[in-house]
Amino acid sequence: MNNFLRKNSEKIVGYSLISPAVLLISLFGVFPVFFGMYMSVHKWKVFKGRFLGFENYERILGSIPAFFVFILGLLALILSYWIWSEYKDRYQFKQKIYVLISSLTILSIGIYLININWSIMVDKGDEDYLYALIYTLYYALFTIIFEIGLGLVIAFALYQKLAGKQFFQMILLFPYITPAVMGAAVFFLIFGKAETSFLNQFVGFFGIEPQLWLFDKRPITEVLFGVKIDGLFAGPSLALTSSIFYGIWSYTGYYAIILLAGLSIIPSDLYEAARVEGASRWQTFIKITIPLLMPIIFFLALTGFINTFQAFNSIFVMQTSSAGDTMDVVTIEIFDHFWGRVKYGYAAAEGVILFVLLNVLAISQYVIFRKKIHYD
Amino acid sequence: MSFSERKFIMTKIFNSETRVPYIILTIVFIVSIYPFFYMIMTSLMTAGEAINQYVFPRTPIFENYLEVWTSNNFQKYTINSIIISSITVVGVLITSIPAAYSFARIEFPFKNLIFYLLLLSLMIPEIITLLPHLLIIRGEIIPLPFGSSWMNTLQGLTVPFMGNIFVIFLLRQYFKKIPNELWDAARLDGASHFYFLTRIVVPMSMPIIVTAGLFTFIIAWNSFAWPLLILTKEDWYPVTVSIYSFVREVGPNFHLLMAACLIAIAPILLLYFFTQRLFIESISNFGIKE
Repeated sequence: MNNFLRKNSEKIVGYSLISPAVLLISLFGVFPVFFGMYMSVHKWKVFKGRFLGFENYERILGSIPAFFVFILGLLALILSYWIWSEYKDRYQFKQKIYVLISSLTILSIGIYLININWSIMVDKGDEDYLYALIYTLYYALFTIIFEIGLGLVIAFALYQKLAGKQFFQMILLFPYITPAVMGAAVFFLIFGKAETSFLNQFVGFFGIEPQLWLFDKRPITEVLFGVKIDGLFAGPSLALTSSIFYGIWSYTGYYAIILLAGLSIIPSDLYEAARVEGASRWQTFIKITIPLLMPIIFFLALTGFINTFQAFNSIFVMQTSSAGDTMDVVTIEIFDHFWGRVKYGYAAAEGVILFVLLNVLAISQYVIFRKKIHYD
Repeated sequence: MSFSERKFIMTKIFNSETRVPYIILTIVFIVSIYPFFYMIMTSLMTAGEAINQYVFPRTPIFENYLEVWTSNNFQKYTINSIIISSITVVGVLITSIPAAYSFARIEFPFKNLIFYLLLLSLMIPEIITLLPHLLIIRGEIIPLPFGSSWMNTLQGLTVPFMGNIFVIFLLRQYFKKIPNELWDAARLDGASHFYFLTRIVVPMSMPIIVTAGLFTFIIAWNSFAWPLLILTKEDWYPVTVSIYSFVREVGPNFHLLMAACLIAIAPILLLYFFTQRLFIESISNFGIKE
């Protein structure tokens, strides 16, 4: 016994040091996913009821086969991109056309599958949840694109040799560390519907009429261009757009700091060489800076999707009744189902679907950025 | 500073190379700061001025803070938040420092497998975990120590967040950089892992430990959905929940809402102010390492 202890003392110390953290993380971090799956196949209102099988999923998605084919459609989109990026540089012109044709065929099959199955799902399933997915996608796409774009601009500005760089960096992170509930409370007043609200005074300065902001459920296309579009391409409501502004405000500085760090590890002799060869600033940017930043942009896009799909606090605080359900992103919808309506099993099923979709997203991002991640 | 010197600095700042960056940064500065400026100014106004959203109060009214602080148990909620966040930070550091040390410096079977499995849990959206958490806290899944149900209790608010793989990840990166020679020397002197960890590794890693603590504090201060879910009584309401209910029934009291927000943000801003350099540094490092 003693001998055994002495022999393995290193291992025992190792395991015992990690055990509290591992226990807590597996109980509160990993186990809930599996338990959520278990809950989702039961009738569960406060207490566990009978076994339902996939009835909850059936009710949310309309038809489960349609959902799977829908996911297949998404994967087809990724596949078509993969084929194109993998083979476009490998062959002569003639074979290239075959690659293009097969890639386009898969692309159109993918779009067709997505389109058809989506309308089946919306027809038969839980429209609120499916629309919540779309709103979440709007929220995620718009915030991430602007965060990374603006973040790049700010990072470049900071990358120049400036006085007061430290100071600007400190200010940049102010929005990031502000707790979302309090930040959203301030934005709730700034984006108020009264004619005297700060934003209305501000846009009035440019001759724009006062808007209802967080209280407006009209889609953004209607507000901007006055055209009424139904369905997917209508864009987020003005209310959701306002909360997107909050999302951008709170995260852009954080993105800029990380991108700045990425910029500063690019070796300066690369720029030197480019200048000797007479490359313009724009060319250097496209050919050197962006490719070398790709790993970081990928990291930011991935964590950005995970973060924005989880955005909850700020939107929950800024919700208004006159915006209707146009601000109900997925997290709000799920929370509402188990907090407000006590449908535990149903909410768990919604969570599992969200989890599946997030994984598909992660895979697709990996495929898209895969080649660009590695330095040449 | 003489006139010519000043002129030299001015031209240096506003030469053509840096003009555009400065313009961009000034805009960013204004946009980042304005909500705080707005919050502070509004919190000093009368109700009327606040509703009409003046830029400056005619005469600053500092009594607003007193009114918020003493009304509606706001004082108690703020103290609750401080207690909850501090306990969470202590808990996270107590579990994470040994774990990070073990992952960084001790060899045992399945070490990397365990670590990467835990890292994968970062991919799980919080909203999915809330519901099973709730059942665990109610004592329906496993028997709990300290009472059969943790609803409405301090342990219910803090324990679920005491294991944090992100913090372990941050600390592990730092611990790995400590040179092996130190450990060999300590071992020769007969030091145990425990001694080495507490006397050498922890003091050497203070910057990252402080940063990790700050991260945890901010996240705990931010927690909102979870307290909303498990608190049916007001005893342990954190400040976020109280601000939320304030927003829902704000009516004409914009100035009081902003005063409350300022009080609720102040601890975070203060902490940030003292640790900002470390904070910025570790954010930069984290982004690159991944």
